[in-house]
Amino acid sequence: MPIDTATGQSQPQPHWVRVIAVGRNPTNTLARVAILIGVSFVVFHFILLPIRVDGISMQPTYKSGAVDFVDRLAYAWHEPRRGDVVSVRFAGYHLMLLKRIIGLPGETVAFDRGRVLINGQPLNEPYERRSCNWTLPPKTLGPDEYFIVGDNRTMPWQDHMFGVVERYRIVGKVLF
Amino acid sequence: MKLIIRILLIAALAALGFWLWTVFFPGPERIIRKQLAGLAADISFSQSQSDLVKIAHAQSVAGFFADNVVMNITIPGHDMQTTMGHDEITQAVLTSRQAATGIDLKFPDVNITVAPDKNSATADVTVDATVSGERNAVLQEMKFTFEKTDGKWLIDQVETVQVITP
Repeated sequence: MPIDTATGQSQPQPHWVRVIAVGRNPTNTLARVAILIGVSFVVFHFILLPIRVDGISMQPTYKSGAVDFVDRLAYAWHEPRRGDVVSVRFAGYHLMLLKRIIGLPGETVAFDRGRVLINGQPLNEPYERRSCNWTLPPKTLGPDEYFIVGDNRTMPWQDHMFGVVERYRIVGKVLF
Repeated sequence: MKLIIRILLIAALAALGFWLWTVFFPGPERIIRKQLAGLAADISFSQSQSDLVKIAHAQSVAGFFADNVVMNITIPGHDMQTTMGHDEITQAVLTSRQAATGIDLKFPDVNITVAPDKNSATADVTVDATVSGERNAVLQEMKFTFEKTDGKWLIDQVETVQVITP
């Protein structure tokens, strides 16, 4: 039983329900809750955006319904790299595209019977486990443009959302 | 402790007062957001709705637009640069109701910029449309230009924004 140092008398122990609900010191608990809410807001609003994958365009790497995070600081110190899975925004951050970067600024990207050609050279894509037959003419990217595409290319290319995006549209890299 | 509670109470009262002010005297941005929410609700329809409700909603869609709306729509396989009046808009909405069994239209992201003169505004909008029976949703960024006409904010231009160039 705790002892009051001023009077030397023992203090009654708070009820266990109260201890679980608001802690031994409600003021400290309130401060901790406020800090936790503040930190969570900053982290999950500005640094790690929680996302839920919807659709089949990134299968088998990301299945529909999977939960992940977008690291918004991933490109604070370096530019996006080939092979990165990134989120691409429309007017805001509530609905974004999840795609893989295959072409970097200044490169020429083409598809030849399902094979990706970068500046005429075939690209090694270990994540691409399903064959496709896309053939598309070469496209040269501008200084601030990236070529993005999903991992699932089994459907006709007309049904797949892919192509050139500008750098400012890339929100961040998918964490896992 | 008492001082902190007083400060918190004053802050809460100020927040409540500000919220009430925005409810009773909404700014252009709030009005435009409400307009866009209404537009999405009126364009959306389901198979279970009666024909009368569908027609009523289709006719009310035109009310969100100015008399001659400039449409610049560029989506894969479909390009349209035209001016549409109220009758044409109603007709287009009715046609879409015959072509599909249901449409669920949402605007998950809306960014509004009001011009300094407070008589025009632009809204960058993410469009998420799901057509019944279709596996994939249609995702598109669109730009709506609003003009204040007789105290009402009406859409006078609609254009698609290219996010990803195939």
